[in-house]
This record gives sequence, C-alpha cells and structure tokens, in this order.
Amino acid sequence: MTASDRLLRARELTGRPVVTLGGELEGEIKDVVFERSGGRIAGFTLRNPGLFSRARKDSLPWESVHGVGRDAVMIRDPDTLVPTKELAPRKQARKADVLRDRVLTDNGRDLGKVIDVVLQGGTDLEVVGYEVEASEALGTAGRRVFIPLPDTVAVSGENLILPAAATEFVSEDLAGFGAAVDQFRARLRESQEEA
Amino acid sequence: MLFSEARRRDVVSTDTATRVARVDGFVVAAGPARVVLLRLGKVAGEGSLLSWEDLEGFGPDAATIADVSVIRTPHDEMEKRADSRELEIMGKRVITERGDELGNITDVDFDLDTGAVTTFLTRKEAIAADRLIGHGRYAVVVST
Repeated sequence: MTASDRLLRARELTGRPVVTLGGELEGEIKDVVFERSGGRIAGFTLRNPGLFSRARKDSLPWESVHGVGRDAVMIRDPDTLVPTKELAPRKQARKADVLRDRVLTDNGRDLGKVIDVVLQGGTDLEVVGYEVEASEALGTAGRRVFIPLPDTVAVSGENLILPAAATEFVSEDLAGFGAAVDQFRARLRESQEEA
Repeated sequence: MLFSEARRRDVVSTDTATRVARVDGFVVAAGPARVVLLRLGKVAGEGSLLSWEDLEGFGPDAATIADVSVIRTPHDEMEKRADSRELEIMGKRVITERGDELGNITDVDFDLDTGAVTTFLTRKEAIAADRLIGHGRYAVVVST
C-alpha cells in the first residue's frame, strides 16, 4: 500500500465510532492525544455515544488501534483500553501541546507550527505528515500546508527536525499529499544509498 | 438456502408428529461462520431457543426435532443476547476490520444440512462468510 491511500487528519476522527472486532460499539473518539514531543499520537480519549455524553475515564492507546476507516476506528479488544491518566501523565498530552511544536529543517529553517497530524488509515496505521501553519520560509506564510515525514523522525525537545528536502514536497491539499509523501521518502532512500 | 426462505418454517416434533413452534430467526457465530441457534416463535413452553445440534433435520417444508424438550431457555450470556435479538443478523451493518462500512445485511445464505453459513448478502454485494471475524450488537465485522 502506498501512502496516498486514505490520508486523514487526526482531528477528523472526533466522533467516529470505536468498534471491536467482535462487533461491539465501545464508544466514540473524543480527542486526539498527542505525545509531548514528536507530534506522534499517544492515543485517543473516548466518550460514550450520544449528544450529551460525558467523557470517559478510559482511553484508547495508539497501539490498540487495529484499523482506521471511513466509518469506524476498529480495536481488537475492549480490554486494551487504558485509564486516561496512563495515556496522558501529568496533563502532558493536552491536544494543544502539539500546536506549540515548531517544525525545523536539519539545516535550521523554521517551517511553521504544527496544527494537525496526517495519518494513513487502513490497518497499517502510520503518521505520514504534519499540517503546518507555514512560516516565511515556505513562501506561503500563514497558509496551511502539509509537510511529509520520513519513515523515521529523530525527535528531541520541543522541535521536530525534518530533512531539508521535505520543503520540496509540501502540498496545499490532502489529495496530492499522498504522492508527495511517497516521493519524499523515495528521495531519502536514494540519498541514503548514495551515502 | 436463504434465511428469508427458511424463516417461518414449522418446527415439528417427530415423537408426536405435531407442530410445536415456528422458526423466527437464526443466530450466527464466527470461526467458522455457522448457525448455532434457532430462535423460535409460537412455542408452548418456556424457552424459545433451539441448538442447531438438536435438530433432527431441516427440510424444505419443516424443521424436525425428536421431542419438545430440546427447546430451551438461554444457557449463557451469548444465548441471552441472542434471545433478546441483540444478535439478530438480518439488517445489521457490515464493517471491515479497516473500519469501512459495506452496507446492511439483507439476507444470509446457508447450508441446510450442516448449518454452515456461506454468504452474507447486502444490497450491493455478496460477502463470503469465511471473511467473518466477529458479530456483535453494533456490527458484523469481516476481514478486508
């Protein structure tokens, strides 16, 4: 499968039913919980279905997600849910946290602030990019653009460091972004082989 | 044979040769997909469930049982849910393990001799029953 299949923003998952492989409705997605650093997804908080539903004390860790599709988030087993405080210790994982992260290239250019995380759905779940409010460096300052991630990102501290080549594969819409992710990763592999 | 054709069939007890119930529905389990229980209506006694294994035969005109005592009440949690129609498969949404809905079940094809379920039908497609992963109150889940 290529990255161009079924890309979606993590926040689009809010309200999507969470269903076990046994066919039971376990709840629905309330919020995305981002890890403190790295823009990775720790998991999702849940709510019970219905208009006036309360938040629940258990959450869905990223590892327990079996598939993400158009109509539901599939999980293997309700026993894999964890208490929310385990997923987000010391309030680290407020959804606002990732918004403060800045994307820097490895040659020191600030590309902008992360607004959302782009996932590849299906059963090979993966974070493939960020939606970023672009900085001056991208020539589209203030606009929202999509920046691809390499297969593996080295992360430390508050900044997300990406190879400078990522700036050549920026998309303005999700439809074209899948191809951009594929091309960017192909480029990185080529340069690794040369080196 | 389709569930829609097999429903409403009489259940006849062979020891007295009398009609003792009517087939109201089928309870399907996974691994492999098969009919495990019949839900009966118009039953004189207390229970309304019949295990597939307790059937003598499921013919074109009637389902037969040795005697009425095999019609029973739920034995476990799954059977209670089946009895309350939570697990009624007709009309239920089908969803893939990837989380995409395929439509609602309009009918189910099964083997009268073995109870093996062969196909789930939706308005748009026929889904091979060997794709069945699980079946709950919310959905029938199938492999992608």
